[in-house]
Amino acid sequence: MTDNRPLSPHLSIHKKVLTALFSIFHRITGIGLSLGTILIAIWFLLISLGPNYFIYFEIISKNILFKFILLIWTIGIFYHLYNGCRKLYWSFGIGMDLTTVYRSGYIVLFLTLSSTIAVWLLV
Amino acid sequence: MVEFSLPANSKVTNGKLHSSKEVAESPKKLVIYRWDPEDDKNPRLDTYEIDQSKCGPMVLDALMKIKNEIDPTLTFRRSCREGVCGSCAMNIDGVNTLACLKSMSDVKKDIKIYPLPHMRVVKDLVPDLSKAYEQLASIKPWLERSKSNGKNLDSQNEEKKQSPQDREKLDGKWECVLCFCCTTSCPSYWWNGDEYLGPAVLLQAARWVEDSRDAERKKRLTAINDSLKLYRCHSIMNCTRSCPKGLNPAKEIAGLKKAIVTEL
Repeated sequence: MTDNRPLSPHLSIHKKVLTALFSIFHRITGIGLSLGTILIAIWFLLISLGPNYFIYFEIISKNILFKFILLIWTIGIFYHLYNGCRKLYWSFGIGMDLTTVYRSGYIVLFLTLSSTIAVWLLV
Repeated sequence: MVEFSLPANSKVTNGKLHSSKEVAESPKKLVIYRWDPEDDKNPRLDTYEIDQSKCGPMVLDALMKIKNEIDPTLTFRRSCREGVCGSCAMNIDGVNTLACLKSMSDVKKDIKIYPLPHMRVVKDLVPDLSKAYEQLASIKPWLERSKSNGKNLDSQNEEKKQSPQDREKLDGKWECVLCFCCTTSCPSYWWNGDEYLGPAVLLQAARWVEDSRDAERKKRLTAINDSLKLYRCHSIMNCTRSCPKGLNPAKEIAGLKKAIVTEL
């Protein structure tokens, strides 16, 4: 009798609230950054192998797709950094009321974008 | 286990339209999740047209109007109609809340109503909360007086007094009506509800941990110090976003984690 009870819909019907979005992007950027670390390792490897191999990196880095991935990665780094700080405060129970949660979320977004722009303009 | 899509028997289909015969002064459409255990069909979405000018202001008023005047088979829980009993918890316009506290005018478009998310459905808007109640019982939501504590043995027949300062520590916790809006808004609970206690139960755990008259603070903290029971909370904050009583389960859970680190 109870076996045929359906499961009520969840992800598909729940509003995409910002609280959950900030959280899932923290995870996505975290996974992205750990994958990116492998690329850094390859980069170091190419440097250590000398100019004959490093030339490959020079070629790839001129690709527009490479630049695009690098841009996404910069955003990921800054987002994960600032949102991580936000979560550190939460570990102490600081800034957890809903208004502050939303405000700090917007601050994280602002800092992420401005830092990314600053890095790309300066470097 | 993480399963993003619904099982085959839970996929929602389109249902009937119950249109109103008269011309409504201020028409409103309600789209409501229906499932009847008596037939073998999948859940469906029925649409009801009502006249807001002939109805109370809250979503619960509309549900009662539908049940009384249009479709008596519509099933939902309700009791106090003023946010004290926690019975009419459901997902309205995408967010879990109490139907009696949710004003219809807050929703600009058609009002979509589903049962609390990721729960077994008993009928229509009635979810099966037995697992959640079991989890609540597991944290022993009652006052515990230690028998091993000599000081307490001497004074067992005495009144257990609490200072106003200690009483204040329970504010933000005792107000919970156990509607499970928070628990069922938590993605962590959706994927790990078998083991993870969920915000509502953890808020109750905090309520008893912080009670100055309780003698088992350490034991309570030890009991929930578990990677699944407690630490599936990743401060997503959906619970706080959802609570119809304006409480902050996420903050109370952070308090529990802090107490475990500093005291155990």
